[in-house]
Amino acid sequence: MISKFQKEIQLLLDNQVINQETVKRIETFYASRNEEKPNRLFTIFGVIGATLVGLGIILILAHNWDNFSKSIKTVLAFAPLLIGQFFVGYSLFKAKAKSWVEASGAFLFFAVGSSIGLVSQIYNIPGDLSSYLLTWTLLCIPLVYILKSNTLVFLCLVFATYYGCNYGYGYFSSSHTPWWYLLMVITLIPQYFQLIKSKKDFNFTSICNWLFPLSLVIVLGAFTETNSGFGFLMYILLFGVFYNIGKLKFFYNQKLRRNGYLIIGSLGTVITLLITSFKWIWNDIFRSEFIFNPQEAAIAVLLFVSASLLVYRTTQKEKNNDLSLFQIVFFVFALLFSVAQKDEVIPLVLINVLLLVLGVNAIKIGADRFHFGILNYGLLIITALIVCRFFDTDMSFVLRGLLFVSVGVGFFATNYMMLQKQKKTTKSISK
Amino acid sequence: MKKIYILIAFCVLALIQIFIPAQMVLSQETVLEKGKAYKFITRPIDPNDPFRGKYITLRYEINSFRTIDTTWQRGDDVYVYIKDSLGFAKLDTISKQKIVRDTDYVIGKATWLNRKTEWNKRPTHLNFDLPFNRFYMNENKAKPAEDVVRLRRNDSTIKRVYGLVHIKDGTSVLKDVFINDISIKEYVEQNRP
Repeated sequence: MISKFQKEIQLLLDNQVINQETVKRIETFYASRNEEKPNRLFTIFGVIGATLVGLGIILILAHNWDNFSKSIKTVLAFAPLLIGQFFVGYSLFKAKAKSWVEASGAFLFFAVGSSIGLVSQIYNIPGDLSSYLLTWTLLCIPLVYILKSNTLVFLCLVFATYYGCNYGYGYFSSSHTPWWYLLMVITLIPQYFQLIKSKKDFNFTSICNWLFPLSLVIVLGAFTETNSGFGFLMYILLFGVFYNIGKLKFFYNQKLRRNGYLIIGSLGTVITLLITSFKWIWNDIFRSEFIFNPQEAAIAVLLFVSASLLVYRTTQKEKNNDLSLFQIVFFVFALLFSVAQKDEVIPLVLINVLLLVLGVNAIKIGADRFHFGILNYGLLIITALIVCRFFDTDMSFVLRGLLFVSVGVGFFATNYMMLQKQKKTTKSISK
Repeated sequence: MKKIYILIAFCVLALIQIFIPAQMVLSQETVLEKGKAYKFITRPIDPNDPFRGKYITLRYEINSFRTIDTTWQRGDDVYVYIKDSLGFAKLDTISKQKIVRDTDYVIGKATWLNRKTEWNKRPTHLNFDLPFNRFYMNENKAKPAEDVVRLRRNDSTIKRVYGLVHIKDGTSVLKDVFINDISIKEYVEQNRP
């Protein structure tokens, strides 16, 4: 079968854009790159297979075979664990290929879970889901380093997040902070760093670039202890840290879709600002019941310092790009938050202005870089702001209608203008 | 890292991975063998756990105690001291810490402090959950177990539902749940609703 790519090469050859020698060189280059591909594919399917088998075993055991005696059930509890350990040991001793290591590691991960689960089932051990998940994940984290396995980084991070949510957001957990979650994430970071350093362009690395910030965003709420608006500040600070990590030369020079930090940081900032642009939030939460909590304050200070250091690094040390407004939103919000304890009108108005400026800023960046995505993102921020104000202002319907029409026209106009500009540039290049 | 170190690390980890569940088995077996058995009057309801299967949650009659201490918080550990009354468990006292007493104890979790107020004339009492409130059952039997108790309770065919719990040094193991002195698994098979 001839691929589209091969057809294109043939076309270029026929039209004498490239010569036979170049074709040969291109083919040799791709042939050498494809050499490792089947192996990688085999690894992926191996891991999926092992994961499915592991999960299947857990489900089969969860049925609770009450016809079996206690001793048979106990043997069954340890059997998958020993089998998993055997395969992991075998792939280590025999120095088997990466696919072996990854697949056996994934199987052992689920075997550990099924083994503890079945013992809990046999003896009706009362521990709740979070303590079970914690024991399970802690028993598997060392495997990440013994096997140097990417699959296990993924599984441990997902299960640590599951634990964090279950422990931190549960019924009994108003005063519970999932510190163990933090510890587990920290223990996974060296392997992640290793991955970033040595396998920057791997798909799995970009999955991690999304997964780590996403996990922290999900669990951060469990670190708040009061219901005051402090949580908003903590989230804005976290998004500030992520956005600025995304601005680091290392991440910024990669494709945008690989830069989860930048996208999550930016989207998170905008969404939090949109939520706090409502009047009732400032009336209800921020003013009435502010309770100082040392734990929340400590986390906020840590995030603030990290974000500030990152701003310093990206703008002063790396000097790879100009300071963008998105980078310092966290700082502006922190200022507004401290003002909010005395007066709620000023921060409310300024947040609306801030969102508008961010929208315009994104449109400008998009236009400067010929990037339709960023341009429309800016327009979307402004639209979202207008939609939000639709609900809590007493503007007349005519005025609201006119606003919507003008934003709609703005969408068309800016995109059209940019398209024209792009065409002109392409023409001038081809001339 | 040298290969030998990796292998040693793996062997140590494998042993820990085996040790944890094995230690769980051992401690539970010790309580079953040496602990004193109590019957706790209860009522089952059926939820499920994504990894460990279906279980019935047991709501025990022993679930609250009068107290004058108003500093109890939800989620606090409650030392529940139990005494024997013709094989059935009776609440002796509760405490925030371990106290010197010749009765057995288990560690429960505080759920709610029901304060005496202008409207609530009942004296202040602490509601708590006992630690052995999960009984794992075959996935086809957990729901019928709940139904059989709920449907038959009113027509007085069910006289007594209790959990048989072994207790030793604060550790408890729920051995079985009985309906009219028949194991709940057998009772469900005999009386499917």
